[in-house]
Amino acid sequence: MDQKELREWEAKCIQEEPPACRAGCPLNVDARAFVLSMARGDFDGARAVLEKSMPLAAVTARLCEAPCEVYCIRKDLGGAIAVGGLERLCIRETSPKGKIPRLPARPRKVAVIGSGPSCLTVAFDLARKGHPITVYHLGEKPGGWLRGLDESVLPQAVLDAELQRLGSLHVTFVAVPALDAALIEAHPADAVYVGQDDAIAPDLLALLTPPDPETMALERPGWFTGGMAGREFRFISAVSQGREAAVSIDRFLQNASLTSSRVPLRDGRTDLFTQTFGIEPVERVVPAGQGGFTREEAVREAGRCLDCQCLECVKHCVYLAEHGGYPKSYARRVFNNSAIVQGMRQANTFINSCSMCGQCETLCPHDFSMADMCLDARREMVDLNRMPPSAHWFALEEMRSAKDAQAALIRHAPGASASDAIFFPGCQLAGIRPEQTLRLYDRLLEIEPRTGIWLDCCAAPAHWAGRREEFAAVLSAMEKMWSGMGRPMVVTACSTCLKMFREYLPAFGAVSVWTLLSESGVQAASMGQPLALSDPCTSRHDAQTRDAVRSLLARLGQPLAELPMSGELTECCGFGGLMDNANPALARKVAQARVAQSEADFLTYCAMCREQLARTGKPVLHILDLLFPETARPAQEPPAGISARRVNRRRLKDELLARHGLDRGPKEPWEDVRLVVSDEVAAMLEERRILEDDVRRVLFAASKGGRVLRHAGDGRVIAASRLGEVTFWVEYREGEDGYEILKAWSHRMRITGGDL
Amino acid sequence: MSLVFIPEDMDWVCEPCGERLQPGKVELTYLGNAFHVEMPVCPKCGAVYIYEELALGRIHEVEQLLEDK
Repeated sequence: MDQKELREWEAKCIQEEPPACRAGCPLNVDARAFVLSMARGDFDGARAVLEKSMPLAAVTARLCEAPCEVYCIRKDLGGAIAVGGLERLCIRETSPKGKIPRLPARPRKVAVIGSGPSCLTVAFDLARKGHPITVYHLGEKPGGWLRGLDESVLPQAVLDAELQRLGSLHVTFVAVPALDAALIEAHPADAVYVGQDDAIAPDLLALLTPPDPETMALERPGWFTGGMAGREFRFISAVSQGREAAVSIDRFLQNASLTSSRVPLRDGRTDLFTQTFGIEPVERVVPAGQGGFTREEAVREAGRCLDCQCLECVKHCVYLAEHGGYPKSYARRVFNNSAIVQGMRQANTFINSCSMCGQCETLCPHDFSMADMCLDARREMVDLNRMPPSAHWFALEEMRSAKDAQAALIRHAPGASASDAIFFPGCQLAGIRPEQTLRLYDRLLEIEPRTGIWLDCCAAPAHWAGRREEFAAVLSAMEKMWSGMGRPMVVTACSTCLKMFREYLPAFGAVSVWTLLSESGVQAASMGQPLALSDPCTSRHDAQTRDAVRSLLARLGQPLAELPMSGELTECCGFGGLMDNANPALARKVAQARVAQSEADFLTYCAMCREQLARTGKPVLHILDLLFPETARPAQEPPAGISARRVNRRRLKDELLARHGLDRGPKEPWEDVRLVVSDEVAAMLEERRILEDDVRRVLFAASKGGRVLRHAGDGRVIAASRLGEVTFWVEYREGEDGYEILKAWSHRMRITGGDL
Repeated sequence: MSLVFIPEDMDWVCEPCGERLQPGKVELTYLGNAFHVEMPVCPKCGAVYIYEELALGRIHEVEQLLEDK
């Protein structure tokens, strides 16, 4: 990912856009943070938020007309948050934070003509930046029309105290008889601000052309104005104009452009999306007394804040929530990971954990796709030889094994010399439900006798792992095999295979077996009780297959329990994108979160979803359990597991070949090594991703004269073999029924000169 | 990494050498990095024993660190 791509990714995620209230504040006060602090009862924290953006906060907070309330997302759900009322209570109940910091003094002088709110804002903003300011005011004290306000609105002592703070910022106040042109002549300055929210003399007013609305600059260089009448909010508009003028004056005094890179006022415009579906209206808290909110009322009123955030994707994705950020921050994480030259790449696991299920993209108002971002990052890691070798190793080995001579098969139907269709069950269905795969194939043969069979893997693991070369090579080989079969229509029982073929081998014209079955009729029975149908994530954009499955189930009379995140919004089981390989603990959490979404037993039409979801202990059926009751497995049955899947694929191939009177040819020499594996040890092997086949190979090598270690005390034996990139160790006892496996472990590090 | 990895139970005999394992010098390598450590070896044939706790603990940790480097 380069800088440009980072910016493009960042721009898609709107989570950092301001909430509507902040966007509606001409002073850019973080009203959301303010209200949330109030809701927590942290009034000092709330005041700090105000003081960060408001000039003379004790005055501004008391008089602010709260234009933010116009934009508040709560307004149609019980009424906008009473931000204005909360500001007043906050400012009454707290004290100023202390000294206002001032930048080092600068040389060029500013004259502020008038002392209304806009003038005091100009003085405040520029004095903090170190400019020497002189405020010329009428009357005994500065303040303009603020002096005429009732004590209940703005106590004069508060105004005096704030002006004193201004004085501490080197602002000089000079009382003058008139705010006229002669005043400016008599007191030359490098920049002049004329505050029209004070009683400016007619001769000076006559000199003022309408200012530039963005910069408040007048035609005469160095002259600025603001505080014009006619705005909806007399006070806050004047303050806002003063602030814009101050920005311009500061730029002018530094000989900088008044407009370049200037952030315009948002007037409530923001791209932040806030979901309000399902949010109950809560009525505004009305102060019981005359003097505004009490502390308790304020906390209650602030508690109505929706805390507007987008987080649409994060709310539904365990993976996104797990890492504590949101796509924009994740884009930076991915970029930083790729930019590291020396040191740890801390986002590797993060990048490799995305299930690439596409739910975020569907939920996102701007279609941010973590899948695309993570896939790009993985490809880059592979291309630069930075991909951790262990990240996807197991899945890639599984893919290669499903494609090897022991498991893969492509043939016409028995007795047929050509195929009009070819059944591609998918490597996981073949490995997890071999009997049902056969039954399903038989049904397809009833529908179309010239249906061939193709046991193989669609290469999704290579794609997910970012291994473009391997993926392309596999696709090309598959296309040749398919051509060799006479280019039959490919019928698959796996949503992932279907997606891969449609995207990368469109010539296959692949269709879902469920679509075919729904068109041909089924004879089966419903389970009776409603089941929660979990669509596989790779069916997200395949409404045809999802509808076919529902139509099949409707025909069985199978009632469905509600599962909110279904169809286009469905969730991954934790296997997709190889999450289960790179981050097994997270994959468990994902599956747990998924099954927790319904009390009902689950039903799915993806073999791997069945495997992953059933691992949580939740009863989960595969649709084949309903369609072919004579082959049904109980919903409570534990998952097949990694070892059985390998054996099952070989057996399925054996059975299919037997129909042709053929066999698989020479078996692997280690295939028949007999193992005795307790449930505990089986669970250990599963968790450590050690196949019983691996154990067999280690023991076979040991039995053929390999070295072993024998315990001098109790006779336990340890054998080890390097199988590819991994060294496997097995501890066992030799028994009459075979090898009793006690433990197995593995590592990738090599021992110079070999292991045992 | 600390350099000596000897399990509590050293009562293992190499077959067919018939020798009890003893601490010995071993070189481990991963992704182009080499480590010189002391672990159980057969004094006769030099076969090395990487015990379970070491493989799943320190060795796994170092592998992960090197993979992310």
